[in-house]
Amino acid sequence: MGTENNSALERIVTNFEMASSLPSDLDLESPAMKAVIDAMPEARRGTFLAMYQDPDVRETSVVFNRSSGNYWRSLLTARDEGKKIVFVPFNFAPEIFHALNMVPVCVEVLTTMAQNLEEGVAEYLDLAVERGLPDTMCSTQRGVIGLFEAGILEKPDLLINGALGSCDPNSKAFEYMAEKFDIPALYLDIPYYHDKRALDYYARGFKNAIKAIEEMTGHKLDPDRLREVVDYTNRATELFFEINELKRNVPNPVPNYYNMQHIGTKFMMVGKPEAVEFYEKALEVSKDRLKKGKHVLPEEKIRVLFIYTFFYFDTSIYSWFQEEMGVSYLMDVLSAFDFNPHIDTSSVDTMLYGLAEEMFNLPMTRQLAGSWDMDSNWLWDSLYYAKTYKADCCVFSGHLACKQAWGVYRLVSDSIKKELGIPCLRLEGDGWDSRITPLAVIREQLEEFFETVV
Amino acid sequence: MRALEELTEVSENLENKYVSDWRNQGKKVVGYVCSYLPEEILYAADILPYRITGKGVKDTSQADSYLTRVNCTFSRCCLELGFSGGFDFLDGAVFINGCDHIRRAYDNWKAHQSALPFMYLLPVPHLINPEGRQWYLEEVVKFKEAIEAYFEVEVIDEKLSEAAAVYNETRRLFKKLYDLRAKDEPPLSGTEVVSILSAAAAMPKKEFNQILSELIEETEASSSKATGKVRLLVAGSLMDDPEFLRNVEDLGAVVVADALCFGAKNFWDLTDESGDVLEALVDRYYNHVPCPRMAGEYSRRFDFVKEQAERAHVDGVILEHIKFCDTHGADNALLKKDFEAAGIPAIELERQYGPLADAGRLRTRAQAFLERIRR
Repeated sequence: MGTENNSALERIVTNFEMASSLPSDLDLESPAMKAVIDAMPEARRGTFLAMYQDPDVRETSVVFNRSSGNYWRSLLTARDEGKKIVFVPFNFAPEIFHALNMVPVCVEVLTTMAQNLEEGVAEYLDLAVERGLPDTMCSTQRGVIGLFEAGILEKPDLLINGALGSCDPNSKAFEYMAEKFDIPALYLDIPYYHDKRALDYYARGFKNAIKAIEEMTGHKLDPDRLREVVDYTNRATELFFEINELKRNVPNPVPNYYNMQHIGTKFMMVGKPEAVEFYEKALEVSKDRLKKGKHVLPEEKIRVLFIYTFFYFDTSIYSWFQEEMGVSYLMDVLSAFDFNPHIDTSSVDTMLYGLAEEMFNLPMTRQLAGSWDMDSNWLWDSLYYAKTYKADCCVFSGHLACKQAWGVYRLVSDSIKKELGIPCLRLEGDGWDSRITPLAVIREQLEEFFETVV
Repeated sequence: MRALEELTEVSENLENKYVSDWRNQGKKVVGYVCSYLPEEILYAADILPYRITGKGVKDTSQADSYLTRVNCTFSRCCLELGFSGGFDFLDGAVFINGCDHIRRAYDNWKAHQSALPFMYLLPVPHLINPEGRQWYLEEVVKFKEAIEAYFEVEVIDEKLSEAAAVYNETRRLFKKLYDLRAKDEPPLSGTEVVSILSAAAAMPKKEFNQILSELIEETEASSSKATGKVRLLVAGSLMDDPEFLRNVEDLGAVVVADALCFGAKNFWDLTDESGDVLEALVDRYYNHVPCPRMAGEYSRRFDFVKEQAERAHVDGVILEHIKFCDTHGADNALLKKDFEAAGIPAIELERQYGPLADAGRLRTRAQAFLERIRR
């Protein structure tokens, strides 16, 4: 995919490969390394230091970046190897494509990766709007649409959207891409309810979608390959459940940055051995930290639960929490997967049903498709996570495109306060566009909020 | 024209005289949103279906403290009326998960002290396929049962068939009216038609049909013509308030066709009256001209708008969407591209619902568009 020198994907791969070539015993104080760090643009420097400053985080970063680099590299050679490429949203699990020998790309992760292009992603966000897309649409898909418009991202063979009903901007962005750039597309409907009838309906839709994928791409589902993939998924699930168990400790030994790497792994690589390798490393590091009494610095003052998503244009905020603020970042909606099922591998049917159940519980699908106060919806989950992981406070990082979240934020936060007595901060911004609310402003608001909590 | 005056008056009052008369007979009125709600079920239960509106709201301060500035002004205006007692004449409200904004308006209203005694949400799938149709059927049956249980009525097939016939008659009459609009010299302005459509959604259909028949007769007999020269079609977000079109038509245009969910999209398809009536209603509502909320149906939507534009020989197309309405906003961007490619000038206008705070900006943009067409 992509052969031109300015191919966005090639440059993303190069960035990852450079990052993954760094050793875990990296000396950030060496003159050569200092010079490299100083030369980085501010946002990229922040993200780099978040991954490499803390020696424990560096250990997981090395594994994560190596796996990710290989993964993105595989995209460049996919077509030569006869593999079709499919773009999906973050609430469409990647395993089925690994089993079909296709290469899935999560659109939202791709926009996040594009943050690290030399020129950043802002001009592509703007280009998408200049060419017709409303500016009220979500920047996570806008980034990729802008890359298409600029002609520096090759079209995938297929688009599949599984966000219908949980997020209008997300589903419309996929339809827009399909129509504007003439890409074949499939859609998967998410019911309003979250019960057995709804899951059965969803699972039928998922199976139909797989049939359609097979017909459209010529890739066939091999039961043995599916079982291999699902075994990796189950192993990854066991590992991140174990990591979540560790998060219940006060203080929490799991590094804040784990959450970011966890999202990237879960949305792209789960179902592959690379994901298992990452979670094994993260578990090993976290257990070691528990044993040694390591936690956020100087001491764990606050345990924060982000009841929505986070800011991705500069992930230094994780290390700011960890190394300066004494704030333990428990999780956010995107990195919380306590309702991920263990998938029964006894037959193809049970595996597909299990994968459908996994997707049924993916972020946003689970919390935002139905009514805010239903069982297994946003309030229910927020209360569960806040109680289970002993949060002192919650933060709603309200991305401006998320109308469905903004529309009931007040109901959710008032109920959390009433039920658990913990406060909730409302932040406004855009997770992929620092121009809406700069990081300095976000930090200022968080700092002020944390002072009131302490 | 007497009939037009009558319908305009109905459209201008939330609790119009037909609603009052209905209630004075001890009968119930239930509000609803969205063209995916089979109104006939309410009508067959002798309940007046009343399409919820946000018309007449001057400010949305109460609604804004729940829904926020990123939620569309239509949903906020409706919620404001709900919160402030504007819909106290309703005995219940039925919503659809039509879009992120309106389903959250429902959530907030339902959780608020001003919630009506009967609050219901009928979930509609976002895909048109056999599984989705089955889901929708089951939901419609559940809805019917909920109405029967709460209001202690029985919705029998005979009544449903009568309702289906009455509603089909409304649709046929509207088609006649739209044939008149499509003539070389349209007898009615787009502004007037929006008032008529709005009245249709706020009064009993039997009485409405009678008045609409009179209006069509009066119109056919009358020599008065709309004054605008540039013929336009308008498509996009919900529109039940005539002010937006008045603003455009004052510039010398006449809106002769539409593809709106209060308009042609809502009445173009008929219910099959020959078989099982509930199944027929489900088929009609599920498969009618799809709203942009229905995924993968863009080409059907484009074909419909284009068909309407061609049959009315329009000079241009206005694609409007209420700010933050991403379903129509994204669709309009595609429609604009495809209309321009088909040689029909098109403009996208982002607007607010309710008081025309941005009337000046819209007027300037519409004027520039008309000048482009006249050239």
